[in-house]
Amino acid sequence: MANMNLYSRGDKTFVIINMVLIGIFTLSTLYPFVYITAMSFSSGFAATAGKVVLTPVQATAEAYNYILSDRMFWVSYGNTFIYTIGGTLMSLAFLIPGAYALSRPQLYGRRFWNLIVAFTMWFNAGLIPFFLNMRDLGLLDSYFGIIIGFAVNGFNLILLRNFFEGVPSSFEEAARMDGANDFQVLWKVYVPLAKPAIATVALFCMVARWNGFFWAMVLLQDEDKIPLQVYLRHTIATLSDDPEFTATQLNASYSFETVSAAIIVCSIIPVLIIYPFIQKYFEKGILLGGVKE
Amino acid sequence: MSGVKLDSIVKAYGALQVVHGIDLNVNEKEFVVLVGPSGCGKSTTLRMIAGLEEISDGQLTIDGRVMNRVAPKDRDVAMVFQNYALYPHLNVADNIAFGLRIRKESAKTIDASIEEVGNILGLTEYMDRRPADLSGGQRQRVAMGRAIVRRPKVFLFDEPLSNLDAKLRTQMRAEIKRLHKRLGATSIYVTHDQVEAMTLADRIVVMNDGRIEQIGTPMELFLNPANAFVAGFLGAPPMNQITATIADGGNGPVAEFPGGSLALAPLPDLQNAVGKSVIVGIRPEYAQTVTEPGPGSVSCDLDLVETLGSEALLHMSLGNKPFVIRTETLGNIARLNSVNGFTADPELIKVFDADTGLALSGQTRAA
Repeated sequence: MANMNLYSRGDKTFVIINMVLIGIFTLSTLYPFVYITAMSFSSGFAATAGKVVLTPVQATAEAYNYILSDRMFWVSYGNTFIYTIGGTLMSLAFLIPGAYALSRPQLYGRRFWNLIVAFTMWFNAGLIPFFLNMRDLGLLDSYFGIIIGFAVNGFNLILLRNFFEGVPSSFEEAARMDGANDFQVLWKVYVPLAKPAIATVALFCMVARWNGFFWAMVLLQDEDKIPLQVYLRHTIATLSDDPEFTATQLNASYSFETVSAAIIVCSIIPVLIIYPFIQKYFEKGILLGGVKE
Repeated sequence: MSGVKLDSIVKAYGALQVVHGIDLNVNEKEFVVLVGPSGCGKSTTLRMIAGLEEISDGQLTIDGRVMNRVAPKDRDVAMVFQNYALYPHLNVADNIAFGLRIRKESAKTIDASIEEVGNILGLTEYMDRRPADLSGGQRQRVAMGRAIVRRPKVFLFDEPLSNLDAKLRTQMRAEIKRLHKRLGATSIYVTHDQVEAMTLADRIVVMNDGRIEQIGTPMELFLNPANAFVAGFLGAPPMNQITATIADGGNGPVAEFPGGSLALAPLPDLQNAVGKSVIVGIRPEYAQTVTEPGPGSVSCDLDLVETLGSEALLHMSLGNKPFVIRTETLGNIARLNSVNGFTADPELIKVFDADTGLALSGQTRAA
């Protein structure tokens, strides 16, 4: 019985097909990263001529030289950090108490409030009303507008609420008997218990903020306040319209393709650095909302 | 004097009333056990005392102070939960100290209290562990530590042993009893396990359907149940309850069964019930086996013998109704299979009204 076969032929075929599909999927998501990285280290001539496929052609770091010496790159990079960190903290400041309140059976009108939150997941006011609203609130062209305007998201709120609902109520009751008030129950018992869920939601917020492009473009006119993603768009737009730049690019070792690629690589790096630290929470957290003990 | 007094306490959820006006006086240092089947309102009653459920009507006093509208933290009571409710992110010491820290006790007091509680409960070597790294019994002890560290006026226990295995339950039961002797705090304990109730309680409160059926010491309830429900609830296996007719046996009342008749105690209430249909209760321990039924005994068929070691349970059938006899095995085992009847001491037979289930009066017996 040493070679006892636990898997039928059908099982094996199924596994092989799965592996192949996963492999294709992995490569297809990985390739853009590889391509962009290779592009950013290639010469402008090679990039424009479409010679870059997998590895840098005529390797050079000229594109990086170009962007790193641009003041606007650093300003927008700094802004992205402000929006990401500030925005995530602001989101958590609203989401944690909000989700906790929505999860409490004793909340007056709980079904109604939950319905209102869920409503925003399917319907929203649309671009122009939202823009006008922000304008009337005086939140155009301000750091605060971006940070507070997008702080609460229905999906994250409900994800966190589901986690809080899954915590047995005896934790709250025990803490109350121990003398804790509402805030202490939340802060000293529920928040530590919800760390994985909070980390997940924080990651969602951070990624959304880091990649946030559209609303930043719409709401921010002042160049000194734009985030990296908007700067990237400006660069692409300016460089491709700039006759001087176009004229010199044939001789230059960088082109607007390589410069764009370099900016994209720079914008990916922080996410790549943070993700491994938060991944263990991320995997756990996704399951948490739905699993009751 | 830290007694607890419940005066016509009612709990209703909208139109649905689950606790129907309970009166109970728990004296200082007394250990009272609320026992009853699931859904009888015992946990709800306890939670109302704790302040975790609102009291719909009636008055709750702790230590002479009305507590109806007082927050749980200001009632000076501590509670041990069925699922322990230990904070998983804190180690044993921090779990125990949680309440003291919330109440802003000094670090010195906290350290001293943790040490004392650790010694009392034998937790000293586990102080750095998280709840996940403890066994069930250890977790239960931490939960008790968290309750006793605050030195509350009243301890509340909500089925604290029901998550433990049988062996550990017996052990922890004894520990709770010892702890109560040592600390002497007023305790109210909820359980559906009648063995816990019998062993722990100074007084037992038997509840059913949101009402109190009877209050008394364990032996009072065991020997003199006020009604058929209490009789059937306390004791394992439960009291046999068989329908019979009371007849005049010449020397006094007798109970007539399908398989014979048994003499009853010559009490006026029983004499007056001649001709009436009643429920006769006989504890399995108090039925004596008979191999040749004659006058004064009841014949029935033996279905099954369960040997437990020192004792055996004989499952008989009496007119298609089950009847259990508990008997010694020593020197007796050979004849158990030929048992075909039973008899009982008239003083130990209980008679209940067939309609109301209430015990006919005069049947009190001291332990």
